[in-house]
Amino acid sequence: MLMVLGHHLRTKNEWDRVMRSEILFQQKFKIHGGDFVNAGESSIKIRNILKEIGIDTDIIRRIAIAAYEAEMNVVMFAQHGTMHLLVYSNKILLKVADEGQGIENIELAMQPGFSTATEEMREMGFGAGMGLPNIKKNADVLNITSTVGKGTRLEININLNSKND
Amino acid sequence: MTEVSTLHSVKIDKKTCIGCVTCMKACPTKAIRVRNRKAQINYERCIDCGECLRVCPYNAVVPITTSPADLGRFKYKIGLPSPVLYSQFGDNIMPHEILTVLKELGFDHVYDEALVCEMTGLAIEEYLDKNKGLRPIISSTCPVVVRLIQRLFPSICKLIVPIEPPREIAAKNLREEISKEKNISKEEIGIIHITPCAAKMVSINHPETMKRSFLDGAIAIREIYNAIMMRLQKASQPLWLHAQSPISGIGIGWAIPGGETRGMKFYNYISVSGVYDTIRILEDVESGKLKAIEYLECFICPDGCVGGPLTVENRFIAKSNILRLIRVFGDKQRVSSSLVKRLYNEKFFSFEHAVAPKPFAPLDKNRAEAIKKLKLREKILKKLPGTNCGVCGAPDCITFAEDIVLGKAILQDCIYVSTKRHNRKERHGEEKN
Ligand SMILES: Nc1ncnc2c1ncn2[C@@H]1O[C@H](COP(=O)(O)OP(=O)(O)OP(=O)(O)O)[C@@H](O)[C@H]1O
Ligand code: SF4
Ligand SMILES: [Mg+2]
Repeated sequence: MLMVLGHHLRTKNEWDRVMRSEILFQQKFKIHGGDFVNAGESSIKIRNILKEIGIDTDIIRRIAIAAYEAEMNVVMFAQHGTMHLLVYSNKILLKVADEGQGIENIELAMQPGFSTATEEMREMGFGAGMGLPNIKKNADVLNITSTVGKGTRLEININLNSKND
Repeated sequence: MTEVSTLHSVKIDKKTCIGCVTCMKACPTKAIRVRNRKAQINYERCIDCGECLRVCPYNAVVPITTSPADLGRFKYKIGLPSPVLYSQFGDNIMPHEILTVLKELGFDHVYDEALVCEMTGLAIEEYLDKNKGLRPIISSTCPVVVRLIQRLFPSICKLIVPIEPPREIAAKNLREEISKEKNISKEEIGIIHITPCAAKMVSINHPETMKRSFLDGAIAIREIYNAIMMRLQKASQPLWLHAQSPISGIGIGWAIPGGETRGMKFYNYISVSGVYDTIRILEDVESGKLKAIEYLECFICPDGCVGGPLTVENRFIAKSNILRLIRVFGDKQRVSSSLVKRLYNEKFFSFEHAVAPKPFAPLDKNRAEAIKKLKLREKILKKLPGTNCGVCGAPDCITFAEDIVLGKAILQDCIYVSTKRHNRKERHGEEKN
């Protein structure tokens, strides 16, 4: 596949390399579905990294909340998944991908209060149906794709020089 | 006073310290290194939690507090003991007696903080009532928790309840009242906190929410303990029993976790104590996990202030003494709600300014450099054994790797790395022979 970049024709590989060269830092974390004991660890690791590289306090708060909600959704609704942190010079991207039940109606799932959490999960304090809306509130751009029976992908973009409050 | 002595709560006595690494291992912010067989505190990272003080087997960690001898500089001296003091002298000695004896030790006036604790609780309740929204609201009582949030969890500074802790409110009120009543200037009054806490001196010298603390100093309970005990034993009859207003049972409860919330109408609160559990819970707060919780009480010391490092009685007995005093004095409300509401509206309890985030410095000011250093640290870490033995003088391998990256240590300081190399050389030598 060919892509146009400026006046040059480049192959997809080359394009990817250009894109990747902008990535200052990346790390992948595994998330285990159903593991409520270690749930939340990846999002803690992620914000510790961001603190060490001097990301702004308010941005860390937004990422902390978005990452935690996304991680919990994998724990609750999927078998396993990954959370991929990518730091660019101008933004932070969290890619969360899972293999799980998928979301049938994304628009509905995005509604505050909508939840299919089980009774047990609700007893543990989850299932308010506020996770996805919270992610959306804290992200600058959020993309969700999902295939029922296969899995779900979230791309959470947070700009490094934006204020969203 | 030297700079260190006003900025921080502890120092290492170089003569007594043998460099055993116990404190270095215990420090939750990794502020201690051992160099040349002596512990060194990096005050930039110290949050004054007193863990080092608590664990040092050689008493080489020295708290910095006011010496009773320093009191001379004030014309009128007021002793303001933390309710923890009431838990230190066994189970048949009542707060009144302790206050009486404390006064005899050279104070012109002593004041029971418990009543103000009760007032503060009502003020916090008022704040929670009037400010729906961000949750959980976090107690401001433990100055180390405030510091910990500023440094490790700066993004949740705005959750700290903007109400001064009882010791400051009591001191503010006393200074005003006594100066009017005795017709002396406010500067001539010295208000001294009798404290279980290593961090109070720092919070007095460098308050985070106001220009100047209302307190003038802090004396360690353990420093004044013997003098009180001796007088208590000598006293044939309890004196001065009725000079104080009735002791507040609700307020005495502030010496242990759960005390702040026990009197509140909200039921959705948690209390946590101990530095590691506090860090865990603040991580959850930062994730937004505890939004359903109304109020969060955290204490750095295990079992709260009765577990403070400058106490004498062991914290289990002290806690049981507090529980007994709560029973004796009951949970009858001693202060008027309408008075508290009025003072609240006058902002009598309020912070002068909000708690400012003061995050620990990143690996580098420049983000690209910081990322480079982060990667380099990972690389170095792979060369280290991961045993966290501490022989290098850093608390664990990852901190050691970070020290190398920051130019504060060299790889050869790791005994594993240096002997491995050494062995390889030796083997090499043998082969040649
Ligand atoms: N990764 C996922 N895989 C499958 N279904 C998901 C996933 N994420 C969300 N959903 C579906 O979308 C619904 C709404 O998600 P959301 O995170 O907003 O609320 P919740 O997880 O049910 O409750 P809360 O996040 O408040 O604890 C979920 O109940 C679930 O049905
Ligand atoms: S728990 Fe109490 S004694 Fe311990 S550091 Fe905090 S305020 Fe001081
Ligand atoms: Mg959710």
